[in-house]
Amino acid sequence: MPEIFIDNVRYEFEGKPLVLQFMLDQGLDHPFFCYHPSLSIPANCRQCYVEAGTPVMNRETNEWELDEKGERVIRFFPKLMTSCSLEASDGMVIKTQRTSELVERAQKDTLEFILVNHPLDCPICDQAGECPLQIQTYKYGPEGSRFEHKKVHKPKRIKLGPKVILDAERCINCTRCVRFTEEISKTEQLTIISRGDKNYPAVAPGTEFDDPYSLNTVDICPVGALTSSDFRFKARVWEMNQTPGVDVTNGKGCNIDVWTRDNLVMRITPRFNPAVNDHWMPDFGRDDITRLNENRISKPQVKLDGDSIKSSWSNAEMSMAEKLQEVKPEEILVIGSAFSSVEDNFVLNKHFSALGAKEAVFSPFIKEGSGDGFLIEDDQYPNTNGCRLLGLKELSPSELEASIKESGVKLVISLEDDLVGRGAVSAAAFEGKFFVYMGSNHNETSAAADLVIPISNSVEQSCSFVNTGGRIQRTVAAKETMYTNRKLNLEMSMGRLDRYGTKFDNWVSDRNRIDCMPAWEFLERLATLSDQQFGYQTTRDIIAEIASVNEKFSGVNYDRIDDELGVPLISNEQEAKSV
Amino acid sequence: MAVDWRNFEPLLIPKIPNLHKIEVFEKHDGYKQLAKVLKEYTPEKVVDEVKAANIRGRGGAGFNAGLKWSFMPKPDGKPRYIAANGDESEPGTFKDRQIFEYNPHLFIEGATIAGFAMHIDAVYVYIRGEYKAWIDMMQKAIDDAYAKGYLGKNIMGSGYDMDMYVHSGAGAYICGEESSLMESLEGKRGYPRVKPPFPAQKGLWGRPTTINNIETLANVPLVIKNGADWYKAIGAESHPGPVLYGISGHVNKPGVYEYPTGMSINDLIYEVCGGMRGGKKVKAVIPGGSSTPPLRGDALEGVCMDADSLRTAGSMMGTAGMIIMDEDTDMVDVLWRISHFYHHESCGQCTPCRDGTGFLEKTLIKIRDGHGEMRDLDLLLDLCTQMEGRTICALADAAAWPVRYTVTRFREDFEKRVKNTVYALA
Repeated sequence: MPEIFIDNVRYEFEGKPLVLQFMLDQGLDHPFFCYHPSLSIPANCRQCYVEAGTPVMNRETNEWELDEKGERVIRFFPKLMTSCSLEASDGMVIKTQRTSELVERAQKDTLEFILVNHPLDCPICDQAGECPLQIQTYKYGPEGSRFEHKKVHKPKRIKLGPKVILDAERCINCTRCVRFTEEISKTEQLTIISRGDKNYPAVAPGTEFDDPYSLNTVDICPVGALTSSDFRFKARVWEMNQTPGVDVTNGKGCNIDVWTRDNLVMRITPRFNPAVNDHWMPDFGRDDITRLNENRISKPQVKLDGDSIKSSWSNAEMSMAEKLQEVKPEEILVIGSAFSSVEDNFVLNKHFSALGAKEAVFSPFIKEGSGDGFLIEDDQYPNTNGCRLLGLKELSPSELEASIKESGVKLVISLEDDLVGRGAVSAAAFEGKFFVYMGSNHNETSAAADLVIPISNSVEQSCSFVNTGGRIQRTVAAKETMYTNRKLNLEMSMGRLDRYGTKFDNWVSDRNRIDCMPAWEFLERLATLSDQQFGYQTTRDIIAEIASVNEKFSGVNYDRIDDELGVPLISNEQEAKSV
Repeated sequence: MAVDWRNFEPLLIPKIPNLHKIEVFEKHDGYKQLAKVLKEYTPEKVVDEVKAANIRGRGGAGFNAGLKWSFMPKPDGKPRYIAANGDESEPGTFKDRQIFEYNPHLFIEGATIAGFAMHIDAVYVYIRGEYKAWIDMMQKAIDDAYAKGYLGKNIMGSGYDMDMYVHSGAGAYICGEESSLMESLEGKRGYPRVKPPFPAQKGLWGRPTTINNIETLANVPLVIKNGADWYKAIGAESHPGPVLYGISGHVNKPGVYEYPTGMSINDLIYEVCGGMRGGKKVKAVIPGGSSTPPLRGDALEGVCMDADSLRTAGSMMGTAGMIIMDEDTDMVDVLWRISHFYHHESCGQCTPCRDGTGFLEKTLIKIRDGHGEMRDLDLLLDLCTQMEGRTICALADAAAWPVRYTVTRFREDFEKRVKNTVYALA
């Protein structure tokens, strides 16, 4: 196998990797700004310098030439090489800043130049704390600057589009954003204008940066030049907890990181998954923070004389149990939801099947033609395939409305799915029925319900979804509810403040905890009342049971999902659509 | 090395009235070389002949043109291009303009021979936008050549097809660099490309491309007409041929002069250009456009205008656009003006050039305005080290060399302008 020597350590490689990417893959730290693994390589920041040399091949014997000590003769390139654009070759010798003073000096020099016109306003910059320029300046930069002149002034606070704001002075002209719009989103809305140290990215006059993927440019910006108009000045990076999750606003199931502070979701950023979304996600998935934070149902609600009033959990359980006693099992219609997790749907179906009700139905939410063939799918819900694999009965909206209206149905139980709001079913369909809605947000469907059970959403519990490609992926609880606790739930991420802050610390807050519980937990409590017992402690127990009873889920568990970034349940994409 | 320049008759721009008209050009053996090549030569033979003649690129780098042509891969039936570089944006350079104006057909003939040698489908003549009048002249010459069948389909009945287009630049120095010239031709922003891949592998629109200077291509018919040995005998041995010296500055008769390479700089100043204005002494000579290191006026004895002699003297041939400065010149001002140019023209792609050129200019402004300190001179040299060889194209070198060599060679001018500050150690 071909070999490469980096800082006198031997590595083996396959194919033709680029030296920078190879070093990063080996866990070696190396500074760079303009390089991005998913974009083309402009080699313009000149930060990733290495000294590189290749062994000299004797053309007659086809062997390496050796010096008198018996070591290979290495011919070094006359100039420093940018490792991002340098292809590894057999026997190549690389010297990085760890072994070469020249490289160390060159990296310092480049950083000195970058900082010459950078405003150094880190204390008020959103990027501070997660800024490659800041980090690399501390690691590899010069101690000070010799620049004693006026910096170049450029426009600030330019609204490039509805979501992205540019501070041109902070820009280091790495062109990542421009290349993103050219190569990934293909809208070509951004370009660099002007020349030399006056240049910065801009949109064409009279247009705006309304790319549906525009916020990805904010993520890949290595400085604070591009900022999100939603998240700008909202929170510092080190105050937030970062938890892996799954985007539930679309069938694609983009992998995300959920950033929370004081139990509010502050922002959502994409998480790398080469099998699903690479480094990217659509903008509307990030807007989901509004749904996660606001307009939440806290405490159960019952309808009394047409008014919804807040009630207690025990009252909710009792009235639900009473209702179940009143009706015959065949008079119950259980509606699962492609918006809810695999676990919730499974327990819902299992619970009411045990009571003798017919199997749960669900109606997918598919907007034909709304997909773009990239990261936006026609399927608006994250778990349509999950419901299909669980064996829930798939109904079209009109079929669903008809079965709700059936005279034999007296009790309708629906898992979180805004059936009325999305136009699948009219509110009038529920008249004369006892309608139990288990949901996390107030909406038109919850308004039509006689009993509303507040349930945890995808960032308040660990749960899994099967995306349009048939891949099961899972979320991790990111924010606390009234009944969960970051210090007790070992799966929840711990931020700096969670770890070191105290109850009396002004920065730590118990506010914003919603009085809700996962749907499966409510059903578990309900089951206890009717002398049943499922014995679930966490969703891990549920997925283990699903894996054992449903062969389509066999071998699935959370550890595997975490290690393999999701597990494909349906191999072929055609098959995925037809399940 | 003595070059017999006094008996030299101009070859590139011969003293023939109305040579720019195609009829006159034809009367003086015009397009005969093309006919000879198309009839008698194989493409390989043309390349070998040009390689043997050792025409060194007149755009600055001085690379053997024939050798460059031989890098082109074998034809695969898909398009291949020549980009003829007439951007001529280096300050002090104004030689290609003479070819456009006085002998455009020599260039067209040379480019067509080069096209035949490399199986080229189209030649793009890239001329800077400021040369509007010369763009029109060139276009007229090309139209005439098309009308006479020297360009286009089935050139002179040989079955070889080639087109030629004039493309106007938009006023950027960087577009004279070969890879950004290609970007500019493709309609993109003039950013130099990362090499490899080299233009001969992936050039214009991803196809094999050769970029030659206008003057280089104009030399080709001379080689075909008289043979490589004749050509090699002109001028300096390692850098042969006639060359257009564009001489400007404090001389009595500035202008473009055609003479062999290897001419002594003193001959050029005192004999060709009629001496220094007002009989002053020479203080500095920039031999080949503003980016080449300046030479001191008192070190010109024996320095000749060819690559080897200039390398020994510590400079470069560049474009042979010479700038002569007399003893009253303030080198701090000169250097500031040169640095201002490179600061303005840096494309902004690579960090060392984008921010380094500005840093250099601002430090020079400080010195020019009398606020400089002795340490600023060391800072300037340090910044040059930080820029040289650290960027995609050579603009950072072009910006750094004049600074480095002006500060070291004319240090007394700078020391006079800075405060002699002494800092206590404790």
